[in-house]
Amino acid sequence: MTSTAAATKNDPSPEAPENGAAEPGSLRRALRAVLTRRELLLVILLVVVLVWMTALGYGGYLTGPYDPDYLAGALVDAVPLAMLALAELLVIVSGRGGIDLSIGSIVSLTGMVFGIAYGTWGWPLPLAILLAVLVGGLLGAVNGVLVAWLGFPALITTLATYYAYRSLALVINAQKPISTPDIQALYSLTGAVEIPVIGRDIPNVPLGVFTFLVPTVVVVWLLLARTTYGRRLFAIGTNDVAATWSGVPVARTRLLAYVAAGVLAGVVAVYVTGQFASARPDAGTSGNGLALPAITIAVLGGVAITGGIGRVSGVLLAAVLITWLDAGILLLFEGNDGSQFQLLALGAVLVFCALLNAYTIRRYGGTR
Amino acid sequence: MTPPSTQPSTQPSTPPSKPSRLGRARGPRVLAPLVSGQEIVLLAVIGGLWLVLGLATPAFLTAGSLRPLLIEVAPIALIGVGMTLVIVAAGIDVSVGSQMMVCGVITARLLVEAHVALPLAVLVSVLVGAALGAVNGVLIAWGRVHAIIITFGTLNLFQFVGRQIFGSQTVNGIPATLDVFGRGEAGQVAGLPYSFLLTALIAGAVWWYLRQTPGGRHFYAIGGDALAAELAGIRVRRRVLLTYVVTGALVGLSAVFTIAKGTTTLDQSIGAGQELAVIAAVIIGGTSIMGGRGSVLGTVLGALLVQTVSSGVTQLGWPSNLSDLFVGVFVIIAVGTDLLRQRARRAVR
Amino acid sequence: MADGSGGAQRLAMTGIAKRYGAVRAIRHADIEVAAGSVHALVGENGAGKSTLIKILSGAVTADSGAIAFDGEPVQITGTTDAIGLGIATVYQEPALFAELSVSENIFLGRELRNGPTIDWAAQHAKVVELLDLLGVPVRDATAPVGSLSIAEQQQVSIAKALAGEAKLLILDEPSAILTDSEIDVLFGVIRRLKEAGVAIIYISHRLDELFRIADEVTVMRDGATVGTFPMAGLSVREIAELMVGGILNEERPARTVPDAPPRLELRSLGLAGRFHDVDLAVRPGEIVGLYGLVGSGVAEIAHTVYGIEPATSGEIRVGGTAVRPTSPRHAQRLGIALLPADRKRQGMFAFQPISFNISIGHLGLLSRFAVWVDRARERRVATELIERLAVRTPSERQPIGALSGGNSQKVVLARQLVRRPDVLVLAEPTQGVDVGAKEEIHRIIDGLAAEGTAVLVVTSDLPEALRIADRLLVVRGGTTIAEFGRDASQVDVLAAAAGAGDEAVSA
Repeated sequence: MTSTAAATKNDPSPEAPENGAAEPGSLRRALRAVLTRRELLLVILLVVVLVWMTALGYGGYLTGPYDPDYLAGALVDAVPLAMLALAELLVIVSGRGGIDLSIGSIVSLTGMVFGIAYGTWGWPLPLAILLAVLVGGLLGAVNGVLVAWLGFPALITTLATYYAYRSLALVINAQKPISTPDIQALYSLTGAVEIPVIGRDIPNVPLGVFTFLVPTVVVVWLLLARTTYGRRLFAIGTNDVAATWSGVPVARTRLLAYVAAGVLAGVVAVYVTGQFASARPDAGTSGNGLALPAITIAVLGGVAITGGIGRVSGVLLAAVLITWLDAGILLLFEGNDGSQFQLLALGAVLVFCALLNAYTIRRYGGTR
Repeated sequence: MTPPSTQPSTQPSTPPSKPSRLGRARGPRVLAPLVSGQEIVLLAVIGGLWLVLGLATPAFLTAGSLRPLLIEVAPIALIGVGMTLVIVAAGIDVSVGSQMMVCGVITARLLVEAHVALPLAVLVSVLVGAALGAVNGVLIAWGRVHAIIITFGTLNLFQFVGRQIFGSQTVNGIPATLDVFGRGEAGQVAGLPYSFLLTALIAGAVWWYLRQTPGGRHFYAIGGDALAAELAGIRVRRRVLLTYVVTGALVGLSAVFTIAKGTTTLDQSIGAGQELAVIAAVIIGGTSIMGGRGSVLGTVLGALLVQTVSSGVTQLGWPSNLSDLFVGVFVIIAVGTDLLRQRARRAVR
Repeated sequence: MADGSGGAQRLAMTGIAKRYGAVRAIRHADIEVAAGSVHALVGENGAGKSTLIKILSGAVTADSGAIAFDGEPVQITGTTDAIGLGIATVYQEPALFAELSVSENIFLGRELRNGPTIDWAAQHAKVVELLDLLGVPVRDATAPVGSLSIAEQQQVSIAKALAGEAKLLILDEPSAILTDSEIDVLFGVIRRLKEAGVAIIYISHRLDELFRIADEVTVMRDGATVGTFPMAGLSVREIAELMVGGILNEERPARTVPDAPPRLELRSLGLAGRFHDVDLAVRPGEIVGLYGLVGSGVAEIAHTVYGIEPATSGEIRVGGTAVRPTSPRHAQRLGIALLPADRKRQGMFAFQPISFNISIGHLGLLSRFAVWVDRARERRVATELIERLAVRTPSERQPIGALSGGNSQKVVLARQLVRRPDVLVLAEPTQGVDVGAKEEIHRIIDGLAAEGTAVLVVTSDLPEALRIADRLLVVRGGTTIAEFGRDASQVDVLAAAAGAGDEAVSA
């Protein structure tokens, strides 16, 4: 689907460097650096948020301390968001309008499956986790087959599977969550722990960061930066046609991206079950769903919606930025207002970043 | 340049009319058929479903059951009319649910707290919706970013605004004057709910506009090839803006319908998830997600089908959430059909 | 033979010049076209034809020169000016809206109205009138244009131009995509337009056709118009001579091709609708050229060898074994590599570094266990190839988008050389490449052949074909029709490709 003037990715900037002219001043170079190196921009924004919130704290505007302990604790929410954003990274990078709107409902459905296997049927934990991951991959494969093999447009397809999976998640246990004692015990998976050796002087970090987030980040980063699959993924996202002509298996590569997204969603489902000590049928679909913040974080992290561009470091920084921004907002406003302003922040960030990404691609040929 | 009209046009030079197409038969067929193949299929499916459900649960085919169905359909179909315009012009709008929340809460509070007369409240709702739609339209037409991303963002922004206006409560004491669009006896004529009639009227007007006026046809051109449309002299950006503004205005009116069909209390869940139902109705109705193809009639039928499935599921005593599963499958089938049609088209060299 | 009855002067362009940066696309062009005549415009690729047309259609403005339309001096500063004057262009790819009907396409933006609504009956009547004028049967005016054949779509494009009261119609290679019978219909349409007083500029490489339809021909060469001549009394060969001029073939060091069984053989190869009965053989160390005009089927032959569209008849043999490549991946496994013709669309990964562009497609080779990319090895291979092909770049990490045309073409070529291919197919190897890099690439190709690769060069650049090929096969009408050796002249080849000997066929 096109917009009135889609920022075409396969129409690269002229082959010879065109910003010739005189050596740009240092201000312009700094601006260019900030706009094209997304990590730089994110770090700056992160610092701005931290400083601003801390200042508000000193001014007495916050209802609680915005301190390292609080921030470390807030990372509990960063884990699922970052992981899902990485899932979206894979899918969006694969190009041809790649996007996955169903990822939140995959979380809900695999969460329920996990809950049934572990809680109701009493399977051993590793096996139940494996099942969740497999089911997630399978659900992702449905998306992948439709989009990559059959050529369905990703947007409407994942919208339809969102519908379907969400309904299944609600129906599978008659809308009731599963919170057997076993499952409740999973809460310890996500609680905060003291880091050994150096732990005394730094705040307690949620365990999930180490058991879920870090391994995921490492795996996805390795996948994209060091494996042949990663190269192929960027190739098909950059130029579908050239990839075919170079002998890259385009359909298979793209399909695997959707499967991988589903697998990640399955892992997130396990985490979220532990986080809330219950397998909830609307785990990923309550409110506006988890897909929306995941996509927002990906776009904020520098992922180009047209494909072929995106980095794990950017997405990770973006996830932390959003999490700490949200955490600050919660302290800034009382009661319900807090969650409302989070909505505002998310919406404004998405619109602004999308405009920025499009401009950066047009002017500089993309972010790095 | 005037062609030397030496000989008049010979025979009507039309191929023998194909049996599968309906259309006015008066000499050479100059107008596109009224109803397309997909719409006939939809009509058949809906009819079939109604028959089956009527047999399975006799209560289904009664006025008491069909009328609420039409009342439920009205807001979805109405927004769907606008969404058809948006998608035909190769855009999309997932913020309509949040738009409905804003329009809904403003209308409700005007009625309850400011005791504003109904017609004025309706007008305000429509205008507010149009304004929200304009925000989308401007960002998309001039911002050069994909519509999905922009409307994802405005989804959040509008929701924020809506919640702010709600405060943290609900709006209670919605007056009975609203019943003219709602369930009560006041809300119908000849057994058909006003809201549905109004929707049908508006849908008919837009259908006519899309079929018969240059402006309407230009939307299809934009969806087919925006660049070529620009070269042909069409003001693409303005037309795209218009699609979002119209959608917003229709959301405003639908909000009134939605409040009317509810209770005297309006809570913050109004509009939640509506965008999916609307988009599903449009796609199932035969509009291509790629743009350039589609009809309002199909959308109304699509909304009817979605609602029939939902009512049917309830009537049969199945878990209500199962209807979403069916809708998802129907959307896939509709998209697949559209893809096949495009491929078949391209195979004709 | 077409009757050269021209009317009053419709268009006169004098002293036109246009340069793009340092490149002079047009040095000097003069052309006069009479109303009610068909005026052919011919020239090799790069001679300036398309630039001249762009100036006429308003897509670009001339740097200098004057244009007169119907005797009045005019300025064409944009497409609206051109349209306002009555200049319409019909390109090969019909620019129509596939989902809209014939009637809507023709009247888009200037619909006939009846109050607020479209007057369908009036539009339909006008469509019938237009198509009658063109001598074309009226199809269902409400069917979406996308369901019509390409030839019919072209007719709709022409009707659309007519509806806009075109006085000068430019047809850019209209016959390239048509079958013979469709071409007959097209010519009928053109004759009707002539009778109606429209001036027509007909651009084509198919010189033989011109004798059926054109009254005069203007030849362009190296950015200048060489002259305008009446078609009567000319032959294809003479036109070819004018197009090519007196360029002597450059001296090339003699190459001896070792005698060995052919590495690549095509036997009666055919792809339904595109080409048929193609026979050729390439020995290891030999460079065989395939030359054909647009629409001759020559590009498709290369695609079939590479597996993009598997053949429907005949066979391909590599090293004596019959094979049937079904995809580029498969072709590569068979030892066939191909450099694509359209670098930007089919070859380059724009924002990625050079090393990425070289290693893609060979990742299995440059990795451990086919999973883990061996970056040191990739870097080595890339650096070696950069050196070998003399790519001007500070490092292999530079994004390919920052390179010039010639250098990025070398990178895409390097990709084909990571694994020494048995058969290397090069499609338009120096398109969009500057003269210096062109020389270098030709030397690289020579070198590859010297190493024993069987090289097949598919090109529409005639001097290039003659320069590097040991043998040159000409493709016309979907099949190989002639073979030339090292001593062939440009005129011979061009004449053969453009239909020498067929001038006698008349309307």
